[in-house]
Amino acid sequence: MSETTTVAYHGAPPRRERWLKRTLLGLTFCSPLVLIFLVLVITPITYMIYMGLDASIYPAVFSVPVFIQTLWNTVIFVGVAVNVKMFLSLVLSALFSQENRTARILAGVFLLPWAIPALPGILAFRWMLNGQWGIVNKVLNDLGFAGYAWLVHRNTAIGAAITYHIWKYLPFWTLIFVAGRRSIPKEMYEAGVIDGTSPLQKFRYITFPMLRNLYLICSLLSMVFTLGDFVIIKIMTGGAPGDSSHVLATLAYRYTFQMGRLDWGIGTFVTALPITLLFIFILIRWVK
Amino acid sequence: MKTRRLSAWPAAWITALCLGLALVGPGLVGVAGAGEKLVVWWNKGYYKEEDESLQKIADAWAKENNVDLELTFTIQDDLGPKIISALIARRVPDVAFCFFNDFHISPKFAWDGKLTDVSDVINELKPRYIESHMSTGRLYNNAEKKWAYYAIPIEAQALGSHYWKDMVQEAGLDPDPKKIPMTWKEHWAFWRKVQDTLRKKDPAKYGKLYGIGMTESSRSTDTIYNFEQYLFAFHGEVITPEGKVVAGEAKNREAIVKTLTFFTSIYKEGYVPPDALTWTDADNNVNFNNRTVVMTPNPSISIPGAHFFTNKDNYYNKIGSILQPASPIDGKGYPYLIAVKQIIIPKDAKNPELGKKFIKHVLEAKNFLQYVKGSNGRWFPSFKDVGADTFFNDPKDPHVYLATQQHTKYPTRPFYFSYHPAYVQVYTENVWGKAISRVVTEKWSNEQAVDEAVTRIEQIFKSWK
Repeated sequence: MSETTTVAYHGAPPRRERWLKRTLLGLTFCSPLVLIFLVLVITPITYMIYMGLDASIYPAVFSVPVFIQTLWNTVIFVGVAVNVKMFLSLVLSALFSQENRTARILAGVFLLPWAIPALPGILAFRWMLNGQWGIVNKVLNDLGFAGYAWLVHRNTAIGAAITYHIWKYLPFWTLIFVAGRRSIPKEMYEAGVIDGTSPLQKFRYITFPMLRNLYLICSLLSMVFTLGDFVIIKIMTGGAPGDSSHVLATLAYRYTFQMGRLDWGIGTFVTALPITLLFIFILIRWVK
Repeated sequence: MKTRRLSAWPAAWITALCLGLALVGPGLVGVAGAGEKLVVWWNKGYYKEEDESLQKIADAWAKENNVDLELTFTIQDDLGPKIISALIARRVPDVAFCFFNDFHISPKFAWDGKLTDVSDVINELKPRYIESHMSTGRLYNNAEKKWAYYAIPIEAQALGSHYWKDMVQEAGLDPDPKKIPMTWKEHWAFWRKVQDTLRKKDPAKYGKLYGIGMTESSRSTDTIYNFEQYLFAFHGEVITPEGKVVAGEAKNREAIVKTLTFFTSIYKEGYVPPDALTWTDADNNVNFNNRTVVMTPNPSISIPGAHFFTNKDNYYNKIGSILQPASPIDGKGYPYLIAVKQIIIPKDAKNPELGKKFIKHVLEAKNFLQYVKGSNGRWFPSFKDVGADTFFNDPKDPHVYLATQQHTKYPTRPFYFSYHPAYVQVYTENVWGKAISRVVTEKWSNEQAVDEAVTRIEQIFKSWK
């Protein structure tokens, strides 16, 4: 302490100089990240917004007959898939946060869908749901029920994509909630036991309030991810039957990479941008 | 504390440097090798023999001309988007060949003025060309307001049909290709009969067998191929060679309704697998190979071709190939719709002249014959001298010989995008696949679905002025 005082007394640089030095040092440390962020995030997004400002794109994009249905499909896909998945994750996390061997083994098995690459997983789902020789219809037939051409009808085709999404991503979000549950102080549950709370009351008055923020943040993050999810619909249904199962991501892909209309592709994505930005805005506010 | 702070400096900058190099490195390498470097993107063949023969031809040329050749093979589903991205970003190869060039790329990017005029190459090859193939490379450049050759056609496919002879025989019918009825009504009744008979004969084995493996999906280019081929059978037209939409004219509308009715009827009657409404281009091949359909129309002979390498008995004895049945309108033949695959040279290519030399070398008769033979007849060459080779004209071959006749004996016609690039959008939106789905899954009438499709085509053409 005395040494510091001595240094400050004899040769401390003026306040402004110290501020400048600190700022420069800070900026230098930040500059690689800022550079990467500028090149990989800010530039493409700015360019996309710049291209999206061209008002002449939108009459063409909106005039495509499938656009409104695609918008609606996106709402259904994101809304149902994310909410069902998050709710199930929250429920299942109770099972996997048990501290016993069986729960650990089950958790290992439960993680498998997360570990399976998306492409073979989706193709396997597609084959299982085949109306002619799929295993789902085989089981139904063996049980005495008639088979069904699952991917040939819009509702069940989108339902299949949602089911796959939940199956694939449920383990990841469950793990997040397991971590969240384990961070809740045990003393709170012990106090609950003393007060004679039932398991349901424990969840209602201890677990859920403690996980509330995490649940909302995870839901918003998942919505942002799911909104841009292109692979599931592309491989599972390819927009069929008759373009009725497209989502914005697959429609934008078609415009950009099959028709070479980058402007239309951007126009399609930009229509989803206000919703994405709203999610991100709420997310940031919540984290604060 | 001080030491730790200082060590973070180089770490941060090394990270940035590495990322920077990862981003710009490939570009720097490209600049350093410019001059005699040639970048070629080529569609990965269905059979390894195709790739091997092209690699051999290319390597020999590169060695002889001291060219640093970068030849990469990519599957069509990835290569199409890759070429489109490159053309938009203007970071292009010198030569690009993709099976999707004709469907998705050449007409649109020729229109935008983003392809090199290759008329000089075409003129040089003109005496060797099959005229109907060559004409598909002539496209409109809207930027320069001129017609010219912006794509080099090299090989083509046409719609044939394949069937399992043993299944036909088991149904008590004659499996000889010459005995398959080729009048319209009788032809399709024949496949219905095979299905009905086999299902009745052995429900356990054939309970889920379908007579007709017709692709009817909005996600498959085969649907477009099938629909427009049979539209010719019903004497219908969508646009004129001048690019005027005539689908709404009474005669054509009626033909389109009849064609759509044909597709939706065979589906609704239960002679087409239910999932055909969601099939990709590969799925009719898969169902045929799994023997869950008796016959399937297919725009190339890739189905028997695959068996040639794995099961000669299937190729020569068990799989039959036939052409298309006569028109239901006048009982006569009609032109075969040909999809002619094309090479392009992007306008932003660094070395277009070297690219042209490379293409001319690959297309020399002796070289191209080796390449196209590697596809085992899946593609028919666009050059008369190559097509005259015994490989394509052996009457003992039950499949290749038949495909050859489609290109040499019968009239052929190009797809509509050769007349107007707006039709690329019609194909990409797969208006016919969508119309089929409207009728089958949404219970629209055939007339309503056709009216929607025709209106959409007219809208698309208006937006391409």
